[in-house]
Amino acid sequence: MIKWFIRHQIREMFRSTVWQKNLIINIIMGFFLLLIFVEALVGGIVLADKFHEIFPDDDPVKKFNSFLLYYFTFDLVLRYFMQKVPIMSVQPYLHLPVKRSSLINFVLSKSLMSFFNFLPLIFVIPMAFFQFADYYPISIVWVWIISIFLIALTNNFLIVYLKKQLVANPKVVGIFGLVLAFLVLFDYFNLISFSAFSTLIFGELLNHPLLILVPAFLLIFIYCINYFFLKSHLYPEEIKIRKDKKVDSISNIKYLKTLGKTGTLVALELKLWWRHKRTKTIIYMLPIFLLYGFFLYPQEKLSDGLGFFIFVGVFISGGMMLNYTNYAFSYESNYFDAILANNINIKEYLRVKLVIAIIISTFCFIVTIPYVFFGLKILIINFVTWLFCIGCLSFMLLFTATYNKKRMDLTKGAAFNYQGIGASNWLAMLPAFLLPIFIYLPFGLTDLPYTGILLIGLIGLLGLLFQRSLLNIVVKQFFKRKYMMAEGFRKK
Amino acid sequence: MIQVSNLSKIYNGITVLNISDLNIKKGESFGLVGNNGAGKTTFFRLILDLIRASTGNILSNGEDVSKDETWKTFTGSYLDEAFLIDFLTPEEYFQFIGDINGLSKGDSDDFLNNFAEFFNNEIINKNKFIRDLSSGNQKKVGIAAALMTNPEILILDEPFNSLDPTTQIRLKNLLKKLQKEKNVTLLISSHDLNHVTEVCDRIVVLHEGDIAHDIHTNKDTLKELEKYFAV
Repeated sequence: MIKWFIRHQIREMFRSTVWQKNLIINIIMGFFLLLIFVEALVGGIVLADKFHEIFPDDDPVKKFNSFLLYYFTFDLVLRYFMQKVPIMSVQPYLHLPVKRSSLINFVLSKSLMSFFNFLPLIFVIPMAFFQFADYYPISIVWVWIISIFLIALTNNFLIVYLKKQLVANPKVVGIFGLVLAFLVLFDYFNLISFSAFSTLIFGELLNHPLLILVPAFLLIFIYCINYFFLKSHLYPEEIKIRKDKKVDSISNIKYLKTLGKTGTLVALELKLWWRHKRTKTIIYMLPIFLLYGFFLYPQEKLSDGLGFFIFVGVFISGGMMLNYTNYAFSYESNYFDAILANNINIKEYLRVKLVIAIIISTFCFIVTIPYVFFGLKILIINFVTWLFCIGCLSFMLLFTATYNKKRMDLTKGAAFNYQGIGASNWLAMLPAFLLPIFIYLPFGLTDLPYTGILLIGLIGLLGLLFQRSLLNIVVKQFFKRKYMMAEGFRKK
Repeated sequence: MIQVSNLSKIYNGITVLNISDLNIKKGESFGLVGNNGAGKTTFFRLILDLIRASTGNILSNGEDVSKDETWKTFTGSYLDEAFLIDFLTPEEYFQFIGDINGLSKGDSDDFLNNFAEFFNNEIINKNKFIRDLSSGNQKKVGIAAALMTNPEILILDEPFNSLDPTTQIRLKNLLKKLQKEKNVTLLISSHDLNHVTEVCDRIVVLHEGDIAHDIHTNKDTLKELEKYFAV
């Protein structure tokens, strides 16, 4: 039976639509993943090799051990947001003569393939051989490595359990998160010390290798908890992640009702964004776009290159807008036929999308005005890039969005989710970031930087002035492309 | 009301629909039958301008549907779940349809009250999103929304499919009433020959995209159709 499970899983993986349709994206993603892996590996080796130079005053074993507990805490948080819970669609097997225990064991062992389980090894193994081996016999060093691996696996199953509980009993997850948050807070205010405790337990492990039984026992324990939880919850209605959700009251925004048909369409978009996982995660990503400047503005080296600041400005004012406009129609792929067949004025429909894009961009610009703290020129650049975003980019993106005819599944999170994203979307991002820099470049090179910056703003302003004609172009484009889009969106 | 001339739809060199001439009069109840792949849904999608015709055109009330959008104001339709906005509650969805068609709150409420029997207490005030409804109940929502604007033309793709027997009977009565009292032009496709012969005065049989029969319904029609399909 296991043979069949594995075979079905492999087929599922290779036959998933994402895999088949986006070969190029898969290659690019694979390349980046490989790059990250190699970088981590080299980083791990270099870190291990130079560890005693980085912390010359500390005992390397104690120092490294003191980090481990922080790592595992961070690992838990990261896994909670990023790790996928393996839910092999067990439903088709439930009525067949398959032992439930083998189903559960397979589902659980599938989670072992997670990247997070192997991540610590990249750092721990070089560390063990470059540093620890100088102080301890090699067999004990192995015990230490294996113990850490066991703890990583314990984390793995803990997350699987917590994520399953999120459906069955969210309180458990809440309490767990609260306890963890308090511990971290206590550590921050030096009431307790993670690092001292971490040094202690992992130090003891090195002194008494038999203590490896503790993580081993923990792992078995958490596995059993998972096992029995799944065993008693293997009914399809309980396994399903998607439960009937309570209806929110987002429909009752009074102001929108006064806006007539426009308000109706805006309200629809709001509900769309608020009631799907994928769109919600995009909203949660908003701080990344806004806080981006904090990482870059303080860097002394960059402060001369205005071209780079233009890029950052577009990213701040336009990043979120791009996320909205680039997929404006594919977000609605599920009911695109309804948009076409109903009595909706297409021009109005497109205008609403444009206005929302402009509102998003404006919000991002206003919130980031405090960056003026890093210099007036940053405010000026962000102002012109904002004008460019709302006057020029918004139309361009809505125009190119009509080329995306991939159905988008909104029920899954957005992080690392490339389902429904086609080559056209990637291409559309290029002008967004390159165009303003191209406009600036000739002036930047001829020592007239502020003329170039002014021109970017001017082009945005022109776009706003010729709003009507630009919108008409988009409307024409929409009518030209609507059959293609509708046909693509119907393909599941 | 609807005039079809030289209409064809070709996918990758294969003709899936080919209607050289078809005229549906105002107030007619038009039934479309045919096996899977006969082109029923394709035809309805062409009428609703959801796909582009390879040749020919469709005039609805004298205007080409692919060039002029006025047909949207007098056409109600429900083909499949893609017509529903599944993350809304039924109430929100009806409100949405009402708003974009410029119905007042009172009109919408009246409409929902009229449909109370049809909904059978399973749709309204259930605090559920449409995506969490059963397929039969989703269909009820879609059909009701199509009727909300008092359309002159009503297009339904397999409306009886997945409805419970009681609702099937109610729907039949409703459709007959609409046609008689409000002179609504009905376009219905169905796999159920009983239902379609009962509701429609005219039945067109599609076979691999071509019109195989065009029958004015009489007492022998059902037998005739059964004989045709019993191959």
